[in-house]
Amino acid sequence: MHNAPPGRRRPTPAAGVPLIDGIDKVTGRARYTADLEHRGALVGRILRSPVGHGEILRLDVTRARRLEGVVAVVTGEDCRHTYGVLPVAMNEYPLARGKVRYRGEPVAAVAAIDAETAARALALIELEVRELPAHYDTASARAPGAVLLHEDRPGNIERAVHHVFGDPAAGFATADLVREACIDCAEVNHAQIEPHAALAEYDPQTARLTMQSVSQVTFYLHLMLARCLQMEESRIRVIKPFVGGGFGARVEALNFEIVTAMLARAAEGRVLMELTREETFITHRARPQTSVRIKLGLTRDGRLTACECEVVQRGGAYAGYGIITILYAGALLHGLYDIPAVKYDGYRVYTNLPPCGAMRGHGSVDTRHAFEVLLDRMARELGLDPFAVRRRNLLVAPTRTLNELAVNSYGLADCLDRVEEASGWRGRRGHLPRGKGLGMACSHYVSGAAKPIHWTGEPHAVVNLKLDWDGSVTALTGAADIGQGSSTMVAIAVAETLGVPIERIRVVAGDSATTPKDNGAYSSRITFMVGNAAIDAARRLKKLLIAAAAHKLGEDPENLDCLGGLFGSTRATQTTLSFADAAKAALVNEGTLTVKGTFTCPPEAQGGKHKGGAVGSTMGFSYGAQVVEVSVDEATGRIVVERVWIALDCGFAINPLAVRGQIEGSVWMGMGQALMEETRYLDGMPAHASLLEYHVPTSVDSPPIEAYIVESIDPNGPFGAKETSEGALAGFAPALIAAVADALDVDLDQLPATPDRVMDALVARRRRQRLQHQPAGDAK
Amino acid sequence: MTAPLPPFRVLRPQAIEAAVAAGAAPGGARYLAGGTDLLVNLRRGLLAPAVLIDLGGIAEFADIRCTDQRTRIGSGVTLARLATDPAVGARHPALRAAAVAVAAPGHRNLATIGGNLCADTRCIYYNQSEWWRRANGICLKSGGEICHVAPEGKRCHAAFSGDLAPALIALDAVAEIAGPGGRRRIACADLYAEDGRAHLQLGGADLITAIELPAEPVRSGYLKERVRQAFDFPLAGVAVALATETGRLSMLRVAITGTNSRPFLVENTAALLGRAVDEELLGQLDKLVQKQVRPMRTTLTPAGYRRIVAAALARRLLASLGASAAASVA
Amino acid sequence: MLDDGRSTRGKRILRVRLNGLWREDAVADNQLLVDYLRESVGLTGTKTGCDGGECGACTVLLDDQAIPACLTLAVRCEGRSIETIEGLAAGGRLNRLQRAFHEHLGTQCGFCTPGMIMAAEALLRRQPAPSDQQIREALAGNLCRCTGYVKILESVRAAAADA
Repeated sequence: MHNAPPGRRRPTPAAGVPLIDGIDKVTGRARYTADLEHRGALVGRILRSPVGHGEILRLDVTRARRLEGVVAVVTGEDCRHTYGVLPVAMNEYPLARGKVRYRGEPVAAVAAIDAETAARALALIELEVRELPAHYDTASARAPGAVLLHEDRPGNIERAVHHVFGDPAAGFATADLVREACIDCAEVNHAQIEPHAALAEYDPQTARLTMQSVSQVTFYLHLMLARCLQMEESRIRVIKPFVGGGFGARVEALNFEIVTAMLARAAEGRVLMELTREETFITHRARPQTSVRIKLGLTRDGRLTACECEVVQRGGAYAGYGIITILYAGALLHGLYDIPAVKYDGYRVYTNLPPCGAMRGHGSVDTRHAFEVLLDRMARELGLDPFAVRRRNLLVAPTRTLNELAVNSYGLADCLDRVEEASGWRGRRGHLPRGKGLGMACSHYVSGAAKPIHWTGEPHAVVNLKLDWDGSVTALTGAADIGQGSSTMVAIAVAETLGVPIERIRVVAGDSATTPKDNGAYSSRITFMVGNAAIDAARRLKKLLIAAAAHKLGEDPENLDCLGGLFGSTRATQTTLSFADAAKAALVNEGTLTVKGTFTCPPEAQGGKHKGGAVGSTMGFSYGAQVVEVSVDEATGRIVVERVWIALDCGFAINPLAVRGQIEGSVWMGMGQALMEETRYLDGMPAHASLLEYHVPTSVDSPPIEAYIVESIDPNGPFGAKETSEGALAGFAPALIAAVADALDVDLDQLPATPDRVMDALVARRRRQRLQHQPAGDAK
Repeated sequence: MTAPLPPFRVLRPQAIEAAVAAGAAPGGARYLAGGTDLLVNLRRGLLAPAVLIDLGGIAEFADIRCTDQRTRIGSGVTLARLATDPAVGARHPALRAAAVAVAAPGHRNLATIGGNLCADTRCIYYNQSEWWRRANGICLKSGGEICHVAPEGKRCHAAFSGDLAPALIALDAVAEIAGPGGRRRIACADLYAEDGRAHLQLGGADLITAIELPAEPVRSGYLKERVRQAFDFPLAGVAVALATETGRLSMLRVAITGTNSRPFLVENTAALLGRAVDEELLGQLDKLVQKQVRPMRTTLTPAGYRRIVAAALARRLLASLGASAAASVA
Repeated sequence: MLDDGRSTRGKRILRVRLNGLWREDAVADNQLLVDYLRESVGLTGTKTGCDGGECGACTVLLDDQAIPACLTLAVRCEGRSIETIEGLAAGGRLNRLQRAFHEHLGTQCGFCTPGMIMAAEALLRRQPAPSDQQIREALAGNLCRCTGYVKILESVRAAAADA
């Protein structure tokens, strides 16, 4: 374990460093998948199911195949192998076989010489479907007699989870106040600005496939390509070009990626598949519509005594990440506060809608929202300050939660102090004019799943460093930089460990032909795991360099160090050796040096022994507290977010500039979900499938966000660092709802808090107040 | 690129007469102004004209002329220019406010006043891709048999969603039309009919050439409710123009967009004249608006909200314009 | 006379000043400016993020004005000046907005960045010292999913101060 922070020694500027690939982005040189050279490539297009649930009676592609300019047509007949996430729950075909289960499900695909021809070919495919009853909501899917989407899942339940830790009944018995709330959170989507795209090339001479795609998880994509195309893994190469955001949209192999590869193989050539924005929305895999029933017990002075929570997620038509999402939703009730007893019942339900998946804050966001909203209401009822209630229930690190999650560092108390002070909470709360309000909430998230999806016994992360005769250090990592700055983080970790300026480091990332396998950009694992592996590799390389430099300088290696790119004695300073010369010395008799660093989570960090106990386990939780200030227009119901103060305990900020960027972005994404983002289906048709109907907030909808970094120095994190990209998200919506309650005394039970819902709540409040003021005899 | 536009030829006439002649030629032609509405609809396969007549080459369309009697705005004047022209802003605040409220800055650099007046009506069942509309069953407006918004009815309920029309209607503007039969003038309020499929009272070759507004001073304003504060069509948009004499309303025109298939002038406001703007008056306007708007399920936001918010905006505008009128009297 | 310049194969010769240099290309009447730039010229810095006019990723300058290239026919640009992100770094040196977006992390995934910078460039040309509200309004048609616009605002502010 690399547990000591490097004494805050920073060859890199304290404010942080710009992204090492930033110049490519601001000049337009950065090539995203659709920008890759594709002259002569065929155009791929997908035919999608018009119905929500049905048996495919006939699929005739003869006429499409005959059309001049069409080179390949593929259908479900061309792939008899399922794909998915968990090895036990892969129940999806890249192209539907036998049945279609949601409107928009891929059924067939063509590769043609141009877009016009591809469109004409799709129109020539004949599809006949016998419609089955479709279930577009969880109640209908769970009702007795509902048609099953998957024969092996009775009641259309993909997974039911029942976990009890501690003694909830005893906990509620000791409470002074027990309250319950039913909170409904709409389905939302990642809406990364880059639409999905893939470029696949199949060489029939060598029987090799090269895949370039928007993936966050090139390794998992590689696995699924091999599985679905029945190719040897070694014949496949997966490359990640620049990726225009992910947020979880691309943390599993996606149907269009496999379909593009199928087309390339069938066409024996190169196929570029660009999905429309509508298709990108239909591909979905985002946060499900979630109904939460939550019950909390509090003592008069704000001590939590018990929590009971039931979660129902509308999962869509296939498994995807579903089992993991429903487990996360319960597991992360733990780890933020000290709660003596927790009961959790979760139901992941199959419905005839596009499959849900992982999205920033995976699994935790909607349950955290419900928890914090209810806690705020109960604090008001008891006349307690919301900050005081949180402080009453803090954990003390190191500790293990009831469900065996390790909490090794815990900066929540500092986060609370920072935002309470910065927002002027004490002087302002309760003194704002009518229509204005302040609210607060807390949240947390994992720094990488301690147990990966595909458990192979390998380390959790591997980084290679190559040192060559020119004195350059190349870091090779499979970690997918999707804009979060992970390649820059690797460069900093290596540079700081070696003691050289960051300019000496090059990072090559995300190419299965050259970089070591990496599980990818999900569950906020990269900084913690890949960062530790990078430090490990740099330490090994440094050891070799110091030995060579010591030999050259005639010094004892024990007394040598590298600072600012110069090797010199830690005792005397008269003789130094440049990094380039040390490198040359190290290569004598060895040639080009390649060293490897690894990181492995120890078994004791991998969660409890109960079923599903691995989900939620991590080496380190990030912690956040935030305050949101709103104005609410009573005449129109419109909420304006005036300002946000957020403090996040990220352990240690390896690149403070990027850390702030991640905190701001995640808070803002929470705002979108809280205020206006929502996917909506009309009889299963995605009515939101454009950036006009799916409301991503614009610059004029977005408030100033003041981000504060709290550094608790995690004992296991790289330089003490933990995750920073997800933990702040879940706190926004409950802080907003609390602020609206503070402003107008209305309780909102639904997300997003759109103007119409606010108006409904205001009308309900007025009705309630009228009834309260009527003399009892008048009430009829 | 994912899908090409349907094939068409582009003509670029330099004079109004040539444009109208091209518009009247058989074979199906459409006028192309800024293109921010038409090209989106072409991309979605909502229409496929054989010819687009690009109006960008007609020089006089880009003029704004102000005289003591009137303001004359060429139909090709962009919304960006309307939003920044000092004379327009000073004389017709509602028009300026409406122009600023449209879409986003990039669109406003392309979009024109004429194009905004002639924008197609919108509906959640209509403004979708071809795949979507086919999968869902082609709607009345797309040439099908059924309106998904009101399946039992016979008409299309798509909502007019332009922002400029209510401002121009409230400001009593007149549109100059060039058509195969020559030139004519129509009050902006009379350009529209309550039919989502045929909301424009213009022939296919008719072309709005200019808009004229009376220059006499009236107070005016425009307010728009939408989910996002940019890049969004109105759930309801309300324009109010009024004049007062000794603190009492002497003229009041209220026009609304986003709730019906046409932008319309609220009727029966005459009863409010001669009175001071007070709570009772505001309440009466609120009732008039709620009674006359007809929002349907054409947006994802519930229709009931659009009704309430239209009234709330009308009320708010009347209150603020009435108050500033009172202040200037005092 | 109306369809002057049309060749026989349904294309016509388009003459535009692209990033400062005049050039001529054959384009079809139904070709969008964004596809002309990306597919015909190979300037892939201009991005496509939506199905038409909904995200701003394709923002370019047409005679100094920021416009969505996905809602503009290429043939309508005849004789006019078009600037894309590739034209901003004169002589290979970053312009002030590019430098500021890089140094202040106004870019994360980078996909909205070219359009965002072009919209900001149009703003600074007509308003060299914009207020925060003016910056927000000028960029309201450019969606970003990474930054919450916080560092984008900082970047534009810094670039304006760098005049």
